Amino acid sequence: MAGLAALSLPLWLSLDGLSLGGHIALGIFLMAAIFWMAEPIPIYATSLLVITLQVLLLSSQGIVVTFSDPPTVAPEAVDSEVWVIPESAYSSATEQVYLLESNGSFRGLSVEVVERGNAGVLVRPFTIPPDTELLADAGHWRRGIEPVSYTVFLGTLSNPIIILFLGGFLLAAAAVRYELERNLTRIFLKPFGNAPSNILLGMMLVTAVLSAFMSNTATTAMMMTVVLPLIRQLPDGDRFRIGLALCIPVAANIGGIITPIGTPPNAIVIAALAEQGYSIPFGIWMLLTTPLVLVLMAIVWFTLMRLFPCKQAQVELELSGNFQRSPKAIALYLIFGTTVILWVTEAWHGLSSSLVALLPIAGLTACQVVEKQEIRSLPWEVLWLVAGGIALGISMRDTGLAMWLISGVPWGALGVLGLLIVFCLVAVTFSNFLSNTVTATLVIPLAIGLSVGGVLPDTQTLFTVALMIAVSCSLGMALPISTPPNAIAYSTGLLRTVDLAKVGIFTAVVGILLAMASALLLWPLILPSITG
Amino acid sequence: MKNELAILCIEDEPDVLDALVRDLAAFEDYFLVETASDVNEAEGVLDRLRASNTAVGLIFCDHILPGKNGVDFLVELHKNPDTRLTRKVLFTGQAGLEATVTAVNRAGLHYYIAKPWNPEEVVACAREQLTRYVIQAGLNPLPYMKILDTDQLSAAIARRDFLTDR
Repeated sequence: MAGLAALSLPLWLSLDGLSLGGHIALGIFLMAAIFWMAEPIPIYATSLLVITLQVLLLSSQGIVVTFSDPPTVAPEAVDSEVWVIPESAYSSATEQVYLLESNGSFRGLSVEVVERGNAGVLVRPFTIPPDTELLADAGHWRRGIEPVSYTVFLGTLSNPIIILFLGGFLLAAAAVRYELERNLTRIFLKPFGNAPSNILLGMMLVTAVLSAFMSNTATTAMMMTVVLPLIRQLPDGDRFRIGLALCIPVAANIGGIITPIGTPPNAIVIAALAEQGYSIPFGIWMLLTTPLVLVLMAIVWFTLMRLFPCKQAQVELELSGNFQRSPKAIALYLIFGTTVILWVTEAWHGLSSSLVALLPIAGLTACQVVEKQEIRSLPWEVLWLVAGGIALGISMRDTGLAMWLISGVPWGALGVLGLLIVFCLVAVTFSNFLSNTVTATLVIPLAIGLSVGGVLPDTQTLFTVALMIAVSCSLGMALPISTPPNAIAYSTGLLRTVDLAKVGIFTAVVGILLAMASALLLWPLILPSITG
Repeated sequence: MKNELAILCIEDEPDVLDALVRDLAAFEDYFLVETASDVNEAEGVLDRLRASNTAVGLIFCDHILPGKNGVDFLVELHKNPDTRLTRKVLFTGQAGLEATVTAVNRAGLHYYIAKPWNPEEVVACAREQLTRYVIQAGLNPLPYMKILDTDQLSAAIARRDFLTDR
């Protein structure tokens, strides 16, 4: 109900300094925010609703623009330079007249008034193309909407970052089909031996690396099947059981930070930067985030060992299996390896990671490594969720809503450091209760607004804030409901909410501090290479 | 999530039924355990469950019952789309070869428990069969992770996208 009321906002509320299009965008934004928080419908359905509403209400082809017929008038030529227009078509406030464009929007044209008379205003334009129609009423409400083509909104469904994720999804689906993730886990875990502390470290590292390339949720579920047999070897009262069950979701949550495809909030942030014309190469993203994730993992590992010590000197880790050697499996290994190498080395060869993602998309389907069944079971709703988030960001920026939202608060007074802290805390708090992707979607437009509004002094600061938001969105993990990995670990009954909360909050706090340290010390060394 | 799935036990001897339900006590926190003493009563229970949108995950059914016998009832359930996925256990001491063959071939029988039974076998059987039901019916496995086979449910989550990043 509240969501629908919010959507109707342009009908009953008029806010200073916000265009009609901005009001519509605000209505859609508030409705989406309410639906995403209260979840009367699934979050991906809200995303699709956002895109649909934008097409209907804000696009040139939508109902609002198509079925509203603003009065137009054709200017009469007095001579080659001077034209007569009705008094009402001239806006004295802006000293402009408004030309009807083919897409339904109106372009303002500054004119010079030569004479005002009974016939109307004589103006001297610089140019008026033939057959031009002017808005007859310069104050008409339709001027408040600057429609864009509906392809802008529909295009979010195939935004380059969506294609990048699709490539990642296909790789993951193929890996699961040919048990590549399982076999890699086996190989990676072998060198860690049988000492409990080493095993815990091994589990965390493997989980983080896998979740950097696969979904955090699928990684957690797979790793639970590895860790459960270990847990069963331990006596009931051994606290190490809790440590083992906890290390998987925590490592999966923070492992997603490592790469652009690690987790959907990264996609939202990268897409928002791309809309501003900035890109972060895959390898550079990893360079920026991996150090802080590694240090965070080390600290969490140490803490888990202290909190949940093992009473046994050794734990038997038994993993059997063999790499499959069928031609299709080998095709998968080749495509997987090539793709990852090309992704990581993007900064050197310059092929964007989204283009590289076409390699697994085309390659895996051409070699029939993934077939209809895998394609049908891809998590499409994640892509839709992200697309809706990107679309929302676009209309918030284009209608001036993002700028308007930030204009009331003296952000500049906070200073860059203060801004970073505020964004971090907001993102971490929200992501504990909301979907991480939704959190990123709601927070990133503000950062973009601040950048466009000139509050963020330069591009490098925008990157820093954006990265900080991405990292923070992955750090909300204090509750079983915070992330699906948490929900999986909690559902086993091996840990109590308080264990999760303790470790989750600790991880988030240390994570934020490390991200801050990176923002101040490490990122300034790397970012200039991409911001120029 | 409690009581979203039901276990139905059909047995005409009250003492035997009580013993079976007692053996299933561990499942009562997670599943609705329903009983019936003959096929008629069982159909009433199924109607009631259907009305409250509760699916039947597992049926323990005796063969020799007053009125319609157990195997014929299981064959009917197998034909009915509502109960096709339901895991069916024949729980009997007196089903002859012919009835048992019918149960396997035409009722899609999943398990056979001979009376007198071993309580541990009943628990293991219920765990295994319900795990398969949850996976095959595509239910969210999380509410059942604690009571059912956690390994199999985890593997199913990893394999089949019941849950995704969000």
